[in-house]
Amino acid sequence: MPGIETLLIGTLSLYTAGIAAAFLLPKEKTPVLPALFGGTGSLLLLFTGIKSFLPPETFHAALWTVPGIGTLTVSIDTLSAFFLVVTAIAAIPASVFAATRLKQTRWQHPEVAAALYLGLLISLTIVIIASHVFLFLIAWESMSIIIYLLISSDNNERPGYLMLSIGEAGTLAITAAFLLLSANTGSLSFAIIKTGAASLGPGVQWAVFLLVFFGFSVKGGLIPLNFWMPGAYTAAPAAFIPLIAGATLNMALYGIIRVTGSLLPIPHAGPGIIMLIVGSATALIGILYATIEDDFKTLLAHSSIENAGIIIAALGAGSVFLAKGHLAAASIAFAAALYHLLNHSVFKTLLFMGAGAVEDKTGTRSLDRMGGLLKHMPWTGLFVLIGALSIAAMPPFNGFVSEWLTLQALLRSVELSSPGIKLAFVAAGVGLTLTAGLAVTCFVRAFAMGFLGMSRSDSASAAKETGKPALLSMAGLAVFCLALGILPTYVIPALNKTIRPLTGASATTALVPGFFRPQGKLPEAFVNDFHKLGAQIGKNSMPGRGLAVLHRGGTKNPVVFAMSTFYMFITLIILLGLTAGLVRLFAGRRRKIRQPRWDGGVRKLLPEMTYTATGFAHPVRVIFESILRPKVVERKDTIAEHFRVTIRQKRNEIHLIDRMVLNPLDSAAHRIARTLAKMHNGRINTYAGYALLALIVFLAIASII
Amino acid sequence: MSRWVIKGIRTGIVTTRYPEKKEETPGTSPGLPEQVTGIAPENRETESRCPTGALSREKNRLNLRQERCIHCFRCSRGTENPIPWKNGFEWAEIRNPEAVVPASLRHSLHIRVVDAGDCGACLNEIKLLNNPYYNMHRLGFFITPTPRQADILLVAGPVAEHMKTPLLKAYEAMPAPKRVMAVGACALNGGVFGPGFVTGSGVADILPVDIEIPGCPPPPLAILHGLCLIAGQLKNEPNAATGTRKGEK
Ligand code: SF4
Repeated sequence: MPGIETLLIGTLSLYTAGIAAAFLLPKEKTPVLPALFGGTGSLLLLFTGIKSFLPPETFHAALWTVPGIGTLTVSIDTLSAFFLVVTAIAAIPASVFAATRLKQTRWQHPEVAAALYLGLLISLTIVIIASHVFLFLIAWESMSIIIYLLISSDNNERPGYLMLSIGEAGTLAITAAFLLLSANTGSLSFAIIKTGAASLGPGVQWAVFLLVFFGFSVKGGLIPLNFWMPGAYTAAPAAFIPLIAGATLNMALYGIIRVTGSLLPIPHAGPGIIMLIVGSATALIGILYATIEDDFKTLLAHSSIENAGIIIAALGAGSVFLAKGHLAAASIAFAAALYHLLNHSVFKTLLFMGAGAVEDKTGTRSLDRMGGLLKHMPWTGLFVLIGALSIAAMPPFNGFVSEWLTLQALLRSVELSSPGIKLAFVAAGVGLTLTAGLAVTCFVRAFAMGFLGMSRSDSASAAKETGKPALLSMAGLAVFCLALGILPTYVIPALNKTIRPLTGASATTALVPGFFRPQGKLPEAFVNDFHKLGAQIGKNSMPGRGLAVLHRGGTKNPVVFAMSTFYMFITLIILLGLTAGLVRLFAGRRRKIRQPRWDGGVRKLLPEMTYTATGFAHPVRVIFESILRPKVVERKDTIAEHFRVTIRQKRNEIHLIDRMVLNPLDSAAHRIARTLAKMHNGRINTYAGYALLALIVFLAIASII
Repeated sequence: MSRWVIKGIRTGIVTTRYPEKKEETPGTSPGLPEQVTGIAPENRETESRCPTGALSREKNRLNLRQERCIHCFRCSRGTENPIPWKNGFEWAEIRNPEAVVPASLRHSLHIRVVDAGDCGACLNEIKLLNNPYYNMHRLGFFITPTPRQADILLVAGPVAEHMKTPLLKAYEAMPAPKRVMAVGACALNGGVFGPGFVTGSGVADILPVDIEIPGCPPPPLAILHGLCLIAGQLKNEPNAATGTRKGEK
């Protein structure tokens, strides 16, 4: 395999060549560029990431020296390598998908769209590998701007503006944090900041943490800064949203891990608790709004918020454990966070592709107007089902593994001594469990209302299966969903390379202990712990890397937590096979009677009579009414007084964040502006008076100083 | 704690012990006229008082067709030749002995009720089966909303024109073996509605009926008796005399 440097240069030059080709080739040929250059470039990126995991594990290169700023450097440590791999896994199929969508939709300037897409890939790569504040910020900023341009390319400007403005506030905070760091350590290079950061005072540490957390949580979609996300994700063209949702959201999490985990590990529990609480609240609110959402894409956007919340909560738990010296528990929590991040990239990219394909073929994003699509788009339906099962954390798919790990990590809080921290863990655990339950509701609804039942609109009943390349890219991700689900014992050791530098402990020994690996002799202590026979049987019956994820509690909870999606999967297949076999054996030769489904005996079942997505979510709406606070507008049509023809109800749910943060801020800004506007009364004498007043004031100040 | 708990404990168990023990509480059943055996009086007064034609003359004898009777008492009260009245409720008659549930399955049966245009009386009585007094669950009978899970299709009403399709659909949706139970005079022969342009003359016109329960409406115990019969929990002792069939475990 060629060296990292060659691979990296290859990746970036492929992306760049794609951009150049976009402007050189004739317009009609440009839609294929994302697949051609983005796909192959991302493939190289994947190899770069994998290669960086192998020893010696750190790649470092100085680019060029900018006067006054210093030498710009890039480096790939295992953290960057992990994010490179995740980005590549999402980007390869997303590029193929983007090409198919670019071809189908009538873009005015496909070459610009293709170039922007490749530019986004470049900036993503550089954000991950930058090890210099200046380079990082430039890449971060260009990423934001490209996303803005991609989102607004559908002539819908408001969501883009909203994203850009709040994103700029975030970037400002990040810049401030980095400047604070470099002012105190005297360098803009990550390596020097890292060595110098340990000696910073607690005040600066807190300031940096809060600024960074604020800044990155804008992109990450944490409350209360996620109000841009549903709108922007919905407005983004279907060609780009898989990459935006699958890869750029991760950048925010990368930033948070990079600063709080690697550059400036804060040695007390406070930041971790903040992350834990904010994360679990974000997850809960995210999934709540996803469950009641009618628009498929907006639903997925809310669910992205939820997943970012879960990841941040796991990270928070990890940093609390780390600060309190529970290294094994910290490794488990970090493993959960990184695993979930990887999973989320895979299934969210998949689901957004599914939503894009459905929108393309039915012309609608409203779940209420879909239904019965499985008949018309069986493959898309299958892949969306796999994505939905994964995101709803159903075994044997990947979401289950990471959510299991997350909740297990939270359970390990019994080992902590401070009751306050334990309480926070309990609150977060309850929030995340409720989230997991609602996620099942949400995605059962999303799949069932979209793909099962009767078609509730003409466009849904006329839908056709989407094209082969798009299906292929979805299939790849679906396979990943299953593979990451049933082979966690092979994924965790890889993640461990990223986790070990962060926590100083190994997640592999905590989660996939050597005792279940067939090679080598059993450690004496393990045999004694697990009872001789049990250990032997366990050892002999487990092939490969054990295929069971398990960890032991501390002295306060001396139990073993174990889970094996692999065996669950095998059992599932055996049970299904057995059932099918038994049915065939006993009933195979019997007469089969097929009757139409029971529809309550109506003469003809009309689509209008069947459940809609809104109806399905109604119980959730009722239960969480105090959070959702729906505004019901009722319109009554009457012929004469007291003689009503129709009563129409329209429910309007203003998002919690909009209601509690954005709208008050908005009205406050208006109030201030109105007050200030009184100055402008339009009379020239007043303005002359202002000028005079200003002059006097300045003269007075000048004479005093 | 709420009062109802204490009240409930104080009240104790009120549930009937039927079919284990005989049920003789007054008021649980209106009863039916007894089958007439002697020569009918010459003046034809008795049968002319019957509004439904349940009493008819056959060669100097009065014949009672209990499936038409609506317990109106006109033949036993205010007449010179009153027909003796018989209390009791075990009137159900099995039409298809093969429909009786085999022994291993008789303690859990699901029933889909179809109101095929009844006046509400039969439905009311069916509803009572769920109350604490009759409590059909103790015998393993359950009402199910979907015919897909139903063992018994319980039909009340004369099968109105508009309920024909739903009834047939429900029957088709049932898994085999299907058992059909016709409850009430209307379901047996059209009852007081009779065959007409909107009502049929009973379930048997369109579906094979396995067990019939006369009465207008049949009291809950009569329906319970029918259910026990079709479930095989009670043995059917054919007895020509009305209302004298005795239940046995
Ligand atoms: S009770 Fe009424 S319906 Fe029954 S047989 Fe006597 S007269 Fe006829």
